[in-house]
Amino acid sequence: MILVYDRTFEGFLTLVYDVYYEKLKPSEILYTQPKTLLLDEIKEIITNEQKANKVLKAIKNSFPKKTFELILNIFMCDSKEFEMDLLKYIILGFKDKNELFNINNFEVFYLQNLQKELFRSVHKMTGFTRFEELEDGTLYAKIETKFNMAYFLGRHFLKRLNNQKYIIHDIDRKIAFIKNDDFIGIQNIASFEEPTLSQDEEKFKKLWNTFFKSIAIETRENKKCQQNLVPLLYRTFMTEFL
Amino acid sequence: MRKDIYEKMQILADSAKYDVSCSSSGSENNHKTGELGATHNSGICHTFTADGRCVSLLKVLLTNFCIYDCAYCINRKSNDIKRTAFSPRELADITINFYKRNYIEGLFLSSGIIDSEDHTTNLILRVLKILRHEYRFNGYIHVKLIPGADERLIEQVVSLANRVSSNIELPSDKSLKLLAPNKTKEKVLQPLKHARDISLEKDTKPIGMSTQLIVGATPESDKDILKLSSVLYDKALLKRVYYSAYIPVNDDKNLPALVNKPPLLREHRLYQADWLLRFYDFSYDEIVSDEFPNLDEDVDPKTSWALQNLQYFPMEINKASKDELLRIPGVGARGVMKILKARRFKSLDFDDLKKLKISLKRAQYFITCKGKSKSKTAFYREDIKQAIIAPPKKKIIQPTLFDINYSHITGEL
Repeated sequence: MILVYDRTFEGFLTLVYDVYYEKLKPSEILYTQPKTLLLDEIKEIITNEQKANKVLKAIKNSFPKKTFELILNIFMCDSKEFEMDLLKYIILGFKDKNELFNINNFEVFYLQNLQKELFRSVHKMTGFTRFEELEDGTLYAKIETKFNMAYFLGRHFLKRLNNQKYIIHDIDRKIAFIKNDDFIGIQNIASFEEPTLSQDEEKFKKLWNTFFKSIAIETRENKKCQQNLVPLLYRTFMTEFL
Repeated sequence: MRKDIYEKMQILADSAKYDVSCSSSGSENNHKTGELGATHNSGICHTFTADGRCVSLLKVLLTNFCIYDCAYCINRKSNDIKRTAFSPRELADITINFYKRNYIEGLFLSSGIIDSEDHTTNLILRVLKILRHEYRFNGYIHVKLIPGADERLIEQVVSLANRVSSNIELPSDKSLKLLAPNKTKEKVLQPLKHARDISLEKDTKPIGMSTQLIVGATPESDKDILKLSSVLYDKALLKRVYYSAYIPVNDDKNLPALVNKPPLLREHRLYQADWLLRFYDFSYDEIVSDEFPNLDEDVDPKTSWALQNLQYFPMEINKASKDELLRIPGVGARGVMKILKARRFKSLDFDDLKKLKISLKRAQYFITCKGKSKSKTAFYREDIKQAIIAPPKKKIIQPTLFDINYSHITGEL
């Protein structure tokens, strides 16, 4: 059986509820109706807040804190197909919560590694995010990432840009982490205009590029190593690679 | 003649580039509400240069004027290069603006000796005071101490910086005398010792300190170098020793003539050995001995140690303790953690290890799972070494096109 859900967290929890009470045996979980003709039966999950809350409460009560956080974090890895494994993981947890730490289980190991991949990627972005100063002194960064990490980055910069205003804008997902005097948190961005940069911006970009070029030692050049460490994927908005 | 700010940056970053240390790790997470900047325990790399090194800090010299004449240094007095200096205010402004744009994790400040040691240290102090007091900057600052500066000045620097260092550069007094006539080992170590004593007196968490050694400019063996490092780790409270493959920047009769390539592999092996000292509980005399004073370039130091000590192997994955597991070549700290976690639930075999993504490339020769071994290599030093350096290739027989008899005219068989 193929299950189709709407890709929201509530939708997924409803799916868990239906699988559990209707004893469904899914072979695949999709978030769009398949275009090709399939012989398998297709069932669409209709998101239901009541069902979702019930499952959420059950997970919160019976799962150890770390594993609950893992479930939330996995949902940020939106470019991966994690649904089947996450479903198995949750079922496993309801059977015996100790098994959630047994990395000999395929889904436990896979999801733990996926979470690590997310954290690794977030960590790289904490270094590779580049802010530009706008006219009013707000710092503005565009990001383009494989996972949904604006929240993690926002929280990271809250510590270090504590007395500044800043915006971290995820272009593809159309969301932004905004921190100013009266708001801290994620907002949806439907449309936006290129903002005006401050006067000093060009000067510091040029200075940074100058620094970046002259700090490299020519006799040790190793572009391959460089690309392993800063993959092209991350370079879209990095000042020194533009 | 005034130079513009870009040219200054170009010259002073260029002069600082041979300093390898650029890490910002190992400091406490320390953010404060209402301040700019915080340090991050793991350190953060903000970009990587074309030579593949991490850029974490704004690494510049305050000035490249210098009264010293060290043979290996690009900034020595007798070199005819462009000289310039940042004013403390200029440098502080650049640091803050770079930091706000998330280009850097903090400042790495070093300097040539202008006028006198004390004068230079005073200039450095000015930069620190502007950053810490005026801009309320709370990020990472690494200062290179000036050997021979007044102890009270050093004390002030230590209280404002996150990490201080002083480069020993050469592993023995003899080499120092030859290449850096104005320095002695005593003089170079003096600021580090002093900084250590201050932090011991205060009974607070000691300030992080590091140093750098040049590899390949003088005839010291790896044993001398590693012995020095391990003494430094034990006694002087150093957090890191950096190794830098010697790259000729000056011609000097005392320096090795024309090296074709910097000894990068040797540098790499030294770092591997250094990791064994710091994280794997090895002592230096386990890694190098009088018999083999230099590290084996063919295999990494851990493999090399295992080959010398085959009596501890093969090790049974399901029974060995954590400390023992850490000694298996090719299995690192993360691998050991995975094994420990997984074997609580079941007894592991080779398939399980593969599923846990533990590399068996080198480990397979040194371990058994449930008493079984995977490798078919004879359990002798030479055989294993050979197998690791050149793993047996699978034989593929490629049929050739031309050994069949066919007609030259029609192409028929």
